[in-house]
Formats: sequence, structure tokens, C-alpha cells
Amino acid sequence: MAIVKQRQASPISQDERRHIRDLTGLIEQLSDPNPIARRWAARDMANYPDSVSALAGQLDRETNGTVREAILTTLMLIGNTDAVSALVRCLRSEDAALRNDAIEVMKNMPDAVSMIIRDLLRDPDPDVRIFAVNILESLRHPDVQKWLIEVISNDKDINVCSTAVDLLAEVGTEDALSALEALKGRFSEEPYIAFSVDVALKRIKDNG
Amino acid sequence: MSKKRVLVIDDSATVRMYHRSVLEAAGYEVSEAINGIEALEKALAVQEPFDLYIVDINMPKMDGYSFLRQLRQQPIPQVPAIVVSTESKTHDKAQAYEAGANFYLVKPIRPDDLVAYVCLLIGQGGHQ
Amino acid sequence: MADNSITYEDFVKFREFFYRKTGIYFEDSKRYFVDKRILERIEATNTGNFRGYFNLLRFQASGDELQHLINAMTVNETYFFREEYQFNCLVNSILPYITKTKTPGSLIRIWSIPSSSGEEPYSIAIYLTEYWTGLKDWDVEIIASDIDTNILKKAKEGRYSPRSVQYLSEGILKKYFKPLPDGDYQISDDFRQAVEFTHVNLFNLTDTKPYRHFDVIFCRNLLIYFDDQSRRQAAEVFFDALRPGGFICLGHSESMSRISSLFKVRKFPEAIVYQKPEEL
Ligand SMILES: C[S@@+](CC[C@H](N)C(=O)[O-])C[C@H]1O[C@@H](n2cnc3c(N)ncnc32)[C@H](O)[C@@H]1O
Repeated sequence: MAIVKQRQASPISQDERRHIRDLTGLIEQLSDPNPIARRWAARDMANYPDSVSALAGQLDRETNGTVREAILTTLMLIGNTDAVSALVRCLRSEDAALRNDAIEVMKNMPDAVSMIIRDLLRDPDPDVRIFAVNILESLRHPDVQKWLIEVISNDKDINVCSTAVDLLAEVGTEDALSALEALKGRFSEEPYIAFSVDVALKRIKDNG
Repeated sequence: MSKKRVLVIDDSATVRMYHRSVLEAAGYEVSEAINGIEALEKALAVQEPFDLYIVDINMPKMDGYSFLRQLRQQPIPQVPAIVVSTESKTHDKAQAYEAGANFYLVKPIRPDDLVAYVCLLIGQGGHQ
Repeated sequence: MADNSITYEDFVKFREFFYRKTGIYFEDSKRYFVDKRILERIEATNTGNFRGYFNLLRFQASGDELQHLINAMTVNETYFFREEYQFNCLVNSILPYITKTKTPGSLIRIWSIPSSSGEEPYSIAIYLTEYWTGLKDWDVEIIASDIDTNILKKAKEGRYSPRSVQYLSEGILKKYFKPLPDGDYQISDDFRQAVEFTHVNLFNLTDTKPYRHFDVIFCRNLLIYFDDQSRRQAAEVFFDALRPGGFICLGHSESMSRISSLFKVRKFPEAIVYQKPEEL
């Protein structure tokens, strides 16, 4: 036996991608019993912006993590507002892996996310507000600091505020200083807030 | 006596710093990981196992529950874990215990409480 | 005479375009490097200025100019036995693990992407030949791919500078290379014929689709040039290119903790590698 070359590339025609690759065909594949076929359908749908509602529907039913991951990647690549709405629903899932994957994907969709981020930051559920702050973390958008200052000035939940402070330590400028000081006053009993605000203040001053 | 070693797993740099400062002051040795995958890599790479994991739930790439589930299948000595989370919902707690956590604490955590729980599970930090 | 000014807006426009095509993102700090190469290509293509050149890039049906530019922009740095501990891991742990579950006589497939000038796939071939006793019982296929067509040509030629072979032992150099009059080394024809080189852009779904059923993938020192979004896409490609239970080895400074959650972390004595779950 030895190191060998095969005569031909491996025959794709014999595997799970053999079916028709137009949108109707793909939508059908998306609920195939075989997860590998579902993954391929989800991946190939990146070429069809109209596939969002089918993807979103499957996401609600899908139990296989690797298929969900492919659906999320495709929603990210499609990147329109419908795709973002489908992802927002995931933030309320009981499944931590799905929630966090949705957050990661949304970080890469600055335009579509910027349209809805304010609503998310005012959501009644503090967990969703924390996720909204997480999304801001690497969203390439000029208003990120403004949104964070609004959060630490108004939000009643200590964990939402401290998540925003952690992020201000990385992206904040002098404009955030007074809001940070004020927050320390607002939660004067909380050692973690005192600690994290001091970290943020020091970082910002060192950079400036 | 050598110091007890704790791995703090959290995507927030400030939280890691906070836990580090509290635990180091109490005599523990602290390492950090930014998510579940890095934590697994560190847990598998070290010669001497950690004595305790302190795990956040919501983290990119691999969340706290998935980390615990995978950790519990690895061929390394199994040690206690404390889950810390911003979420106080009951289904989260249930998931954490099922995944192999020993305690579930809700953030923010006061320094004394953190040290008390750690001490309860692995005893006092080494002497300086 | 070319108009040799590229504004910041031009640079940004170009950066977005190039990123979408290749997954490679240039920070502002790379501006000088990028501008210099674009200017060279404006000159070579006689397009006069950035606008003319950018139009050629975007609308040329053959895509030849885009390929020229990609060739000029890639970082091809590599050498034999780079990160050798992983080749050790391959022959001492990964392959023994794989052969335990495979039907004897079936083919073991290895994909080296990006291969650059070939040092990595040839190192794998040398390692298997020298250090893996299993090679007498198994057939192995090594496929090596890169986006850069010039570098693939070099890889197929198999001529290497003394620098590139500096970590090879005297013995191996003697056994598998021929010194050339100009000081370079020519790798033996057996290896040149054994490794298959192909052109693949990791971000082109049509390119990557036929790559399936691999047992091991080496993807080293590429993902460091990518941002989060491209890393995620790359992970999807590798996941689907692997057999269930197949392994992926990343470069020393690349950890899956920054890339994807699709794979399991596996510890072997020589290295930590990543594995596609046996069952989806
Ligand atoms: C630094 S070399 C790494 C070579 C070898 N794997 C090693 O570790 O020594 C990086 C290579 O990635 C290739 N490359 C860059 N973008 C690519 C893409 N989108 N698809 C395939 N290869 C790509 C470049 O052409 C270059 O040869």
C-alpha cells in the first residue's frame, strides 16, 4: 500500500446533495429526515434571500445542533431584516447554545441589527437586554457607545448595567465618563459595580 | 502546601479580573478562559488538574452547560464546578445541575459569598 | 502614465470587495502593503487609475485579474516540518485511531489546505513514509489546495530553498531530495507524483463542494488572517468535508475557541486536535 492518487474526485452525485438545488427543491430538503441533507439545504440556501421564512420555520423545529448552526450561518449571509427577526426569536430560547450562537451571528450584521437594537435594549426581559449589549460587543457601528451610555444611565437591572460597563471598558471614550461615575452612585452597595466601573474609568483615562 | 487552582471561565474580561482578584486575595491560584472550548483545551493541556471550575453560562462558541457536559466525558480527574449566571430562571438551574454543576449562583456575587462557596467545595486556598 | 493615488475611500471599497471574495480582511495598518500592490496591477493592466482597475476586477468575466491580485496579496510563508508535533500526532495517534474503525483496505484521505508552496503536504507524505508503519497496510491520498495559482505551480515543481528545508535532518534531505547546482533542493519525483495539488478558494462554495469524506484536514496559518464571519464559514466547509469522526488540525496560534463550536476537543499525547462528532 502507498500514497496514492485517485482517478477522479469523490462522486458528489451519490450523496446528500444530489437533489434539485432550486429554492423549491431546497425547501423540501430542509425537512428531510437525514440531518446531513438538511445541513446542505441550509447551506445552499445562502444564495436565496427569499428562503428566510423557510429557514426560520425549520429553526423552530430543528433539534440537530449542526443543522441549526448552518441555518444561522445562512441567515447571517443573507443578512436582511427578516433574517434578523428570525434570530431575535432565538434570543428567547431555553437552549443556551442557540441563544449564544444567535448573538454571535448578529454581531456580524451591523446594518440590519442597528434597526432593531433599540427595541432589544428596552425589552422587558433583562436577559434579552443583556444579550443586546453582548451583540454590541463587536458590531461595527458608530452608535455603539451612545447606546451603551443610554443603558447605564437608565436600566434598572444591575446585570444589564454591568455587562454594558464591561463593554465600555473596551470601546468607551471620555464621553462615557460622567455616566459611569453616576452609575457607581446609583448602585453604591454593589462591590462588582464599583470594581467594574473603576476598571472602565481607568482604561478610558489611560487611552485618552 | 501548594495552592488550590481555580479555572475561571467567562467571556467578560472584567468578570474574570474580578473573580481573580477576589480568589487570589483568598489564597487561590487562578487561570482564565474566555469560553467553554478554551476551558476544555486548558483543562486537557495542564499536567496537574484544576481543583475547581467557575463557569459562566452565556458565552460565545461554547456555553457553560455544553462545557460541563463535555468536561464530564473527558478522561481527566473530575472536580467540582460552580455555575454563575445572570439568569435566575428555574429551568436554567435545573440544566446546570443536570450538566454536573455543584452550585448555581446568580450574579452579582459578593466577594465573601464567592470565597465561602469555593472554600466549601475545595477547602481554603494555600497559604501565602 | 498611471494615476498613482488611491484614496482612503478607494482602499475601503477595495477592502470590502476583496474580503467578500477571499475572506481576507485588511486592517488600516495594511494600507501601504495593499496600495502598493494595487498600483503595480494598475500599471500592469494599463487601466490608468483605481476606478478603471476596480471596474476590471469586478466585471471581468474570466476573473483572471482577480486571480493575479489574489496571488499578489497572499502571504505564502511556510517551511518543511513546521509545527512538527502535529505530524507526530498524526502518525502516532490520529492514524492509529482512524484505522481502528475503518474497513481494512479502504482509502485514508488527507486534505492540506492551504498548502502554499507544498512544504506541508510533502512533509505529511515524508512523515507517513518514514514514521508510519501502517503505510504498508493502507492506501493514503493526500490532496493539497490553495487559492494562489502561482504558488501551486511552485508546489508542483517541488524546488526548495535551503531556508525552506532547514529543519529537515541530513538523513531525510539525502534520502528524498536532490541538491541542485544553484543551491536549491528538488524533492523526489515519487513525492511529486503522490501529492495532488488543486486550486481552491475556501470561500467559493462551488470550489469546496467536491471536497468530501476526508479523514484528516490540516488547516494551518490561514484562519489567523480571517475575521469571525469568515472563520465561521470556513468551519462549515471543514465540517462537511470531513467524515464523521474525522479530525482537523489547526496552526499553533489558532484555537477552535475563536472559530467554531461544531467540533469536539480531543486530547492526544502530542497535541490537542478537533474532531467531527461520530454522529450528527
Ligand atoms: C501562511 S500560508 C500557510 C501554509 C501552510 N499551511 C503552513 O502552515 O505553513 C497561507 C496560504 O493561504 C492561502 N490562502 C489565503 N486565502 C485563501 C482562501 N480563501 N482559500 C484558500 N487558500 C487561501 C494563501 O495563498 C497562502 O498560500
